[in-house]
Amino acid sequence: MKEILTALRRNTKLSDYQINIHHKQSYELFFVKSKLETVRRTDTCDREVKVFVDHGEYKGDSQFFVYPSTDETQLDALIEDAASKAAQINNKSYELVGEQTGSYEVESNFRDYDMPELAALVSQTVFGVKTRDGAALNAVEIFLNKHTETVVNSRGLHKTQVRYEAMVEAIPTYNGQTQSVELYEQYNFGSYDAQALASQIGGKLEEVEARYRAVRPDFAIDCPVVLGPRELMQLFMSIARDLNYSAVYAHSNLRKKGDLVQKNPTGDRISITMTGQLPGCVRSAKFDEDGMSLGSIELVKEGQVMAYYGSNRYGQYLGLRPTGNLGCMKVAPGSVETFPATHLEVISMSGLQVDAFNDYIGGEVRLAYYRSGETMIPVTGISISGKLSQVLESIRFTTQTTMFGAYQGPKHAVLTAMTVF
Amino acid sequence: MSFSEFLTARRATAKELVAELGKYYSYVSVLGADVRAKSIRVDRNSSNLGAGRDTECGFVVKMSKGSVFFEYSLDDIAGDVKALAAKLAEAFRLSQALAANTIGQVQLPDEPLVESFARRSDIGAYSDTQLLDAARGLCERLLQGSEHILNGVVSLGSVEVSKLFVSKNRELDQNYTWINGNLMVVYRENGKVVQAHEGAYGTHMAQVLAQLPALQEKLLHKAHMLTLAKAITPGTYDVITDPSITGLIAHEAFGHGVELDQFVKDRALAKQYVGKYVASPICNMRDGAAATVSAASYFFDDDGVLAGDTQIIKDGILLTGISDLASATQLGLAPTGNGRRESSRRKAYSRMTNTFFEPGQSKLEDMIASIAHGYMLFETSNGMEDPKNWAIQCVAQYGIEIVDGKLTDHWVSPVVMSGYVPDLLGSISMVSDDFKIIGSGSCGKGYKEWVRVSDGGPALKAKVKLG
Repeated sequence: MKEILTALRRNTKLSDYQINIHHKQSYELFFVKSKLETVRRTDTCDREVKVFVDHGEYKGDSQFFVYPSTDETQLDALIEDAASKAAQINNKSYELVGEQTGSYEVESNFRDYDMPELAALVSQTVFGVKTRDGAALNAVEIFLNKHTETVVNSRGLHKTQVRYEAMVEAIPTYNGQTQSVELYEQYNFGSYDAQALASQIGGKLEEVEARYRAVRPDFAIDCPVVLGPRELMQLFMSIARDLNYSAVYAHSNLRKKGDLVQKNPTGDRISITMTGQLPGCVRSAKFDEDGMSLGSIELVKEGQVMAYYGSNRYGQYLGLRPTGNLGCMKVAPGSVETFPATHLEVISMSGLQVDAFNDYIGGEVRLAYYRSGETMIPVTGISISGKLSQVLESIRFTTQTTMFGAYQGPKHAVLTAMTVF
Repeated sequence: MSFSEFLTARRATAKELVAELGKYYSYVSVLGADVRAKSIRVDRNSSNLGAGRDTECGFVVKMSKGSVFFEYSLDDIAGDVKALAAKLAEAFRLSQALAANTIGQVQLPDEPLVESFARRSDIGAYSDTQLLDAARGLCERLLQGSEHILNGVVSLGSVEVSKLFVSKNRELDQNYTWINGNLMVVYRENGKVVQAHEGAYGTHMAQVLAQLPALQEKLLHKAHMLTLAKAITPGTYDVITDPSITGLIAHEAFGHGVELDQFVKDRALAKQYVGKYVASPICNMRDGAAATVSAASYFFDDDGVLAGDTQIIKDGILLTGISDLASATQLGLAPTGNGRRESSRRKAYSRMTNTFFEPGQSKLEDMIASIAHGYMLFETSNGMEDPKNWAIQCVAQYGIEIVDGKLTDHWVSPVVMSGYVPDLLGSISMVSDDFKIIGSGSCGKGYKEWVRVSDGGPALKAKVKLG
């Protein structure tokens, strides 16, 4: 860092600079049918340097990477080259994040363990889940990551934060007499909760047995569709992405401040808040890549767009208060205590497709529970589709909430305007 | 461009490290990667010129005593080699429980081979200023192309790859470049906003810069038609796929299912179908970094195995899959050169490279003429694999309705194809005699491990569920 700073200060062509250092340490275990196949460790450090050159009314920038092998002469040459590139970039001027210093750690119990110890504990939890006859975890991958991120700039900014996150890919499989089936599942968490992890995996092992028993329905399904947190996260993230400053500046956003996400709502009103930190959220951070401290902003309130959000640069371009790149999402719960008597609960999809440009929502369903009264039939081989605008108008959410990846919000939503085919 | 000076400077150290770690382990390899990516992007309001997202420089050391594989990713191997070797050996002390629960004896092969490879490119002939000016010129022309354009984006990207692989018996290096160019518009007409793009790609910047201007007219026509596109009525239809959608089917419907690390884990239904019909007898499918020159062509893979050209399906029958070194060894097969890492910081898996159906005998116009009512599907949006159960989801950007054997002006968008892989592949009734590989794809395994891929092929006639 010191050498980079010295070299940057030496170059008189630069108006500003920013250095991002990302030190990543990971411990990873890979299992094949419950047997350990590979152990990986990473200990790497990215040093990204961005230089800025003010010329006329413009502020140009260009970035490059510095490696451990980069010597002083090479570093000077890289800075000179980047300065020359930046001088050709005619971007609107803006101010870098100003003088702030601090050292932070995002709350997580990962710091209570060393990585091999925690990885072993996670593997014990995963494989300790009681399995039913025929059900097993065919493949498990465990990734534990510690990120130490530092941002320094020419305006007196110097911040460091430590973040932790984990990802467990566990593939539940059911081997029956007629076939063997699986469900793909990934668990992301920022704090270790053995009971919660075991409970989620136990649930998936039950669901994979249901996939084995699932049938392609030979009857028409015409009923409300219930979606879970993975699909809800995808749906609401698509709305949030549209309200990012960078999308607004690029004229690629569909919705504007004051627009109604739900024009004639007949269900629950949608309220979305983007925030920097949520307990257990894998994207929790104290500041973003520009060093902006991260707070919260309500993007959508009761179905109406209230605000945009985004980085320091694009916020200033739009003349709006930069919020920083907020990674966590909070969605208000709704009114649903119980599902309709007849409904299709989607358990696993290939991936929900949300296309606001074409007013589309849908996708292929790998497993769903068709419930009618006391009857429950696991079904597969079906697809769902609908008009996104109609779905948003009538969507209803559960009162119960959950945390899933970067999403905290209703555990389920009931959609009444979907075609099942 | 030429092979990385940095890796050249570390070659001797890599050999020393292999020798030193050889005291602890029966198999040791070092993969060094120095990837320089450049990204140029110009739109109506802003521009950018800097390092691309594929940029990386580092090493991964792979070791095995014959029962479990250890890998350590680090930035540099320079310095005290003995100390580094001792540190790496120390880093992998396993708990008793884990050590007692490994996959068992697997000895990775290490056949002697010394090779050096370089693929020529003209990227060095273009200065940053020339490329930025070219992108600016294209963007200006694009923005003048229609009053309906809200924003136009032109991007040029190059990735210059240098890799060094050293093991006890092998010493390989490679150096190659791939270039992508893209035109994109945000377009408003008929009360609707749409996004559309067109891409060009190749080993030479001159090719890409020559192709891009010619794509503008097609792009603006597509954007206009997309503003008129309607939703498709869900149902099962006869379809013709363009090469992009053909490639998507090859990739998602079947390619992921024959990645042999999935066979090791019993995660692929295809394992039970080797030697059996999995597709219509007029279908032939291949994958390989050496099968064509495109985005995923290289000389050796990230396990130090030479690139292959694997016939996966021959006349509708599944012949074999594609593998990384560890999976092939566990299955007792020869590796196919498909061991790929997202970067030197990630694990190698069995991954697709350039995946495609081979051309057939039919004329495209005859294929369209054979359909009373259906759709021709264009341009990959995304897809998702399900190798164990052969469910399929492939999303096309748009479709054009076919009525009485003729393409109409009725566009639908988006189009989600879903169904059961054997139903789809078994329904292929015509294969066109033309052929195209799309060199601008990227592929994840599950939801991670992104690598560059290409796919494509001829047009196919099939019957699928659309919604």
